[in-house]
Amino acid sequence: MCEDCTCGEEIQKNSIYLPEVAELVSKKKMTDVDSFFEFDLKGHSLGHLPGQFAEISIPGIGEAPISISSPPSDDNKFEMVIRNIGSVTNAIHSLNVGDKIGIRGPFGTSFPMNNLRGKNLLFVTGGIGLVPARSAILYALQNRADYKDITILFGCKEPGQRLFTDEIEEWKNRNDITFLETVDTCNGNKWDGNIGVITTLLPKLENVDPLETYAIVVGPPIMYKYVIMGLHDMDFSDKKIIVSLERRMKCGVGKCGHCQMDNIYVCQDGAVFYYDDIKHLKEAL
Amino acid sequence: MEILKISESDFLSFLDKKIDEKNEKVIGVVKKGSHFVFNELESSDKLALDYDVTMLPPKKYFQPPKELLLKYKPGDSESYQAVNNCDPMAIVGIHYYDLAAIYMMDRAFSEGERDEHYMKKRENSILVGLYPTKYFKYRFAKSVVRDQAYKVADLMMVKMNGEYIVEVVSEKGKEFIKGGNFIKNNYTLQEIDDAKNKVKDDQKIPISVELVPDYLGKNHAHPVWEVFGEKCFSCGSCVLVCPTCYCFDVRDEVELSLAEGKRIRVWDGCMLEDFAVCADGHNFRKEKGQRFRHRIYRKGKHLPEKYHYFGCVGCGRCQYSCAADIAGPVKVLKYMEDNKQGGQNV
Ligand SMILES: Cc1cc2nc3c(=O)[nH]c(=O)nc-3n(C[C@H](O)[C@H](O)[C@H](O)COP(=O)(O)OP(=O)(O)OC[C@H]3O[C@@H](n4cnc5c(N)ncnc54)[C@H](O)[C@@H]3O)c2cc1C
Ligand code: SF4
Ligand code: SF4
Ligand code: FES
Repeated sequence: MCEDCTCGEEIQKNSIYLPEVAELVSKKKMTDVDSFFEFDLKGHSLGHLPGQFAEISIPGIGEAPISISSPPSDDNKFEMVIRNIGSVTNAIHSLNVGDKIGIRGPFGTSFPMNNLRGKNLLFVTGGIGLVPARSAILYALQNRADYKDITILFGCKEPGQRLFTDEIEEWKNRNDITFLETVDTCNGNKWDGNIGVITTLLPKLENVDPLETYAIVVGPPIMYKYVIMGLHDMDFSDKKIIVSLERRMKCGVGKCGHCQMDNIYVCQDGAVFYYDDIKHLKEAL
Repeated sequence: MEILKISESDFLSFLDKKIDEKNEKVIGVVKKGSHFVFNELESSDKLALDYDVTMLPPKKYFQPPKELLLKYKPGDSESYQAVNNCDPMAIVGIHYYDLAAIYMMDRAFSEGERDEHYMKKRENSILVGLYPTKYFKYRFAKSVVRDQAYKVADLMMVKMNGEYIVEVVSEKGKEFIKGGNFIKNNYTLQEIDDAKNKVKDDQKIPISVELVPDYLGKNHAHPVWEVFGEKCFSCGSCVLVCPTCYCFDVRDEVELSLAEGKRIRVWDGCMLEDFAVCADGHNFRKEKGQRFRHRIYRKGKHLPEKYHYFGCVGCGRCQYSCAADIAGPVKVLKYMEDNKQGGQNV
């Protein structure tokens, strides 16, 4: 029936589900379950903004939404940190340098770095939440003069789960930013730093001016409530709190319904939100 | 809008001609056991337009239960190829509420990121609507749909005295009926209107449709969610049969020979337990009551607030197919009205 049909060519051109190809150019183990991956899109840059994500495709296995961890850049490379937790992420972990993946994106909203110019930045990151936050942290450090005080808080379950340890060393030694970290428990490991959940770091901060500071909060679902309570204690208004929320995602393009939170599609309207814009939503936190 | 008519027997001959011409697949309602279904027609013999409701709505032709999106060679990321089966088709006998639902699906798939897999199938289709000729005890369409059917129908038919009155809604519809024995209509508009409304609905939602979004918003904590959620089996039937549900899952399938892989989308639904489960196992809608509320909120609050139409077309399929006897929006709203919470209901 469809003899002169051109839909084959058309759909190849127009399908929102068709991935592009990127090549794995470097790979590094970070923890028992997390590895760092650098991909090259060849031909063009990903064109993402800090805080956006992409769908990574392994033909025969499936797709997974993954945050882009590197700051925006003109070259064709971008970075991700992926936790080996299931079928797709496991397949990504077994790739070798030179192997190819499929990618769709970038998707979602981004940290509003332009609106934050001239302000202090307070990053509050938990566990793998450091991965998306890093794209904004590195952007702010590249444009250091555009922002006033930069404070980074990082908490994870135990020392073995710390990410980006080399960069953390560098951040600790910089005198133009403040970096504090904590672990929930040292779990028998050698650790002479802070112990306690991430909120225990907040009282250690001195002179945070809630009127001139934006807090950027990224972490596991359980973390938000407590961190926001802590920020309220410090007199932060909800307009100055920015969150990035996780949801189940499949399509990334506002169709499949998996990421829905009340009436909002997190994959399109988020994952980055001003807390003030979503606090009334019953399904948000 | 031009209005024509055709005798029932001429209409059947017309369809047989269309089937023979093979310009498009001709799909119609046929009887299957004691139920009705949409199916491709080999001849007009089986056509059963005198039906109460079909088991599944015609959305299965635009968003098939299992739909191929991409083909590839397993392991080869450079081999991804998008595919779409969008053979032309004409679907005959779609009730007005199912047409309204197709209009809602069109909005969802065309706005924002345009989904060509769906849209191309829609562009290549001809929709022949029909006003119901038979009563269905769970239907409450009249209390929830407006005139959305005319935004997607190519032809609308009304049965009167063994003839079909045919409203020619679109150019595509006009083209389609060329060659059939469609003649000048001699009924008055009033007579046609009466025929359109001849089959009554027994059910209606208990409050005015414009008030439902606010009403639901104010009743987020109403006991109905827990009471009904408690009875729910999380079987997902209510979302699978719903003409306005379109949520899906995307999966990869590989042939045993490993020669070809497929990325497919399959129907999925928010009433299923793991619909909102994340990688760390966190379920954003863990309780059955939360899922039950989400589904009703989508129809009665989220979609109306976004698109300004009710997100349920009142077909009654969910109520009919629910083993726990709880899924129908009428049932839910009635329970809420009967169990008003101090000052909460509007
Ligand atoms: C916006 C966003 C950004 C993310 N960024 C990162 C990141 O930077 N690094 C990282 O390691 N992970 C990230 N994740 C989580 C990552 O998407 C999931 O770990 C991944 O989809 C699991 O896929 P899988 O095939 O390996 O696991 P599966 O074998 O599919 O399942 C393992 C578990 O994950 C759940 N799951 C399946 N699909 C999804 C999904 N699409 N989203 C969430 N949970 C799912 C399953 O229900 C199951 O509990 C992000 C998720 C989102 C939504
Ligand atoms: S059909 Fe009934 S029992 Fe099944 S998921 Fe829907 S409401 Fe629950
Ligand atoms: S919610 Fe029920 S009555 Fe409404 S359109 Fe869906 S299946 Fe039909
Ligand atoms: S991930 Fe499919 S709608 Fe958001």
